[in-house]
Amino acid sequence: MPSIDEHGPKSSWADDILDLPPPSVQVEGNTKTLTEYSYDDNDKMIKIISTFRIEKRQVPKAIALRKGWKKYGQSVNDAPGPNSATTIVAEDVTMQFVTVKDEEDAEKEDVKKKLLDQAKGQVKCRICREDHWTKLCPYKEQLDPLRTSLMGDDKEEENAGPVATGSGGKSLGGSGGKYVPPSMREGANKRGESMGNRSGRDDAITVRVTNLSDSTREQDLQDLFSPFGEIVRIYLARDKNTGMPKGFAFINFMRKEEAERAIEVLNGYGYDHLILNVEWARPSGTQS
Amino acid sequence: MKPLMLHGHERSITQIKYNADGDLLFTASKDQTPNVWFSVNGERLGTFDGHQGAVWSIDVSYDSNRMVSGAADRSVKVWDVSTGVCISSVKAKSSIRGVSFSYSGSLIAYTTDKMMGQESEVRITDIRERQDVEDSPMMRMPITPHMMKGLSVLWGSLDTAIVTGHEDGAIVKWDVRTGKNLDRRCEHSGQIDDMQLNHDGSLLITASKDTTARLWDLETFEPMKKYKTERPVKSAAISPLLDTCPYVVLGGGQEAMEVTTTSTREGKFDARFFHLVFEEEFGRVKGHFGPINSLAFHPSGKGYASGGEDGYIRVHSFDDAYYQYKFDY
Repeated sequence: MPSIDEHGPKSSWADDILDLPPPSVQVEGNTKTLTEYSYDDNDKMIKIISTFRIEKRQVPKAIALRKGWKKYGQSVNDAPGPNSATTIVAEDVTMQFVTVKDEEDAEKEDVKKKLLDQAKGQVKCRICREDHWTKLCPYKEQLDPLRTSLMGDDKEEENAGPVATGSGGKSLGGSGGKYVPPSMREGANKRGESMGNRSGRDDAITVRVTNLSDSTREQDLQDLFSPFGEIVRIYLARDKNTGMPKGFAFINFMRKEEAERAIEVLNGYGYDHLILNVEWARPSGTQS
Repeated sequence: MKPLMLHGHERSITQIKYNADGDLLFTASKDQTPNVWFSVNGERLGTFDGHQGAVWSIDVSYDSNRMVSGAADRSVKVWDVSTGVCISSVKAKSSIRGVSFSYSGSLIAYTTDKMMGQESEVRITDIRERQDVEDSPMMRMPITPHMMKGLSVLWGSLDTAIVTGHEDGAIVKWDVRTGKNLDRRCEHSGQIDDMQLNHDGSLLITASKDTTARLWDLETFEPMKKYKTERPVKSAAISPLLDTCPYVVLGGGQEAMEVTTTSTREGKFDARFFHLVFEEEFGRVKGHFGPINSLAFHPSGKGYASGGEDGYIRVHSFDDAYYQYKFDY
């Protein structure tokens, strides 16, 4: 059975405080030193020394008189000096000097960017997949006939990859004007055959980019690859549920030489803290 | 600079004012008790208990002995600053939006709200007579129907005229002797939330909801300068140091009702410093986490205080950087 003596003196926190040396105040010239003792979180005794500078200010008589007024209202019980409940010394702040020019430019750019971003999301060319109206597409002349011959372009979106649609697509997807699910279309059951029957266009000049970071967007890829030549389309694979990029993308170039150059330059290129891996896309038919 | 944060109010601050010597800071908020503080260390001298509604406006007499407050409880109260006692109370028929002491300290002008079938009015009362019972102003000037209700009021031109700021952005000058409307200017397109004079009473600055503040010559009533921001301006003050630091400070930010939908960074709750003459912004001070409702320069020009929708008053004293800043022109 534990005796009272074992626990007695230590158990009461009130007693602990009694053990502390009393605070002392020393005034020397115009400095006041206040020494206090307390316990920190680890029950160790700490000594707190606060030094105050005593300032004497000469003020007009009226102000000096007001200094002596008694407090009233809700402050009637306050001790002399600021009450910590109502007066708090805030964190240091500095005045930030700005020049109007910077500010305006930044704001203008901001607005411009916002508008562009908005346009990006909303407008997409059906022919070349860039952000302008289909009607205004610069490649309309060249690509439109090609596109109509490959009707069922939308289907491409669903297959993650540069999958060319079967030649049979035209008569099915377009003519009736009625939507036919891909699985119901003619040739749906002959998948392998139609895959093999691709036109050479896509495979030949499709570049596969892997090891992309999560924050990559289509626009980033556009910026990255467009210096090498005209891009037909960019496909950035995204997770179905989260919408986050999966880390790889396919870029279709207009010309083979340009795609070659892009691979040459960008393979092993450090982008967004990752090293890009850029290579020719393998024809999807050969994937196991 | 290390600002002092004064937390004596439970609701958003409506107006703050230094007395003429700058040792006292008077603050009013939507809770019912105006406070007075020593500006040097932030010590609270006291509170003025007695109002039963949001206190919209306060003013201090030139000798700092009297404080007047106008509140939504339809009363104007005059207080003794040394004891916190209410000396007289003037009842009106609708809530009081603006109050102002004349230079002499014996007259007060106040504007009443347009509500409950009452038209908005500008009234002048002599506070030397006790008027506890009913409202019998010396002079009442109804704001004619074509003008929107008056919000803020100031005395100008050696107590011969008063100026009111209106909901439609107009400012109007009234002759105190005849009660006639001397001049009306409408440059702002939004409600005028605050009007302040500079230290010698020759310049007037108006802060408006139309996101600008304007500087006026009080005597000629000509618009002089315009300070543009992108958020509603709730308050503006002119630095008393016209020779060395000819600046104005603007406070404001987003509408209070929209604050919860945006972050502090987007809300732009900074106090913004503009050059008085060149109308260009050069500095910002952060701190509040709600729009700034009222600003006041210390009469010495060495600091300023701001009161925000967040209920805090921040008292700043400028660093050397402020005085050393050379405006690039």
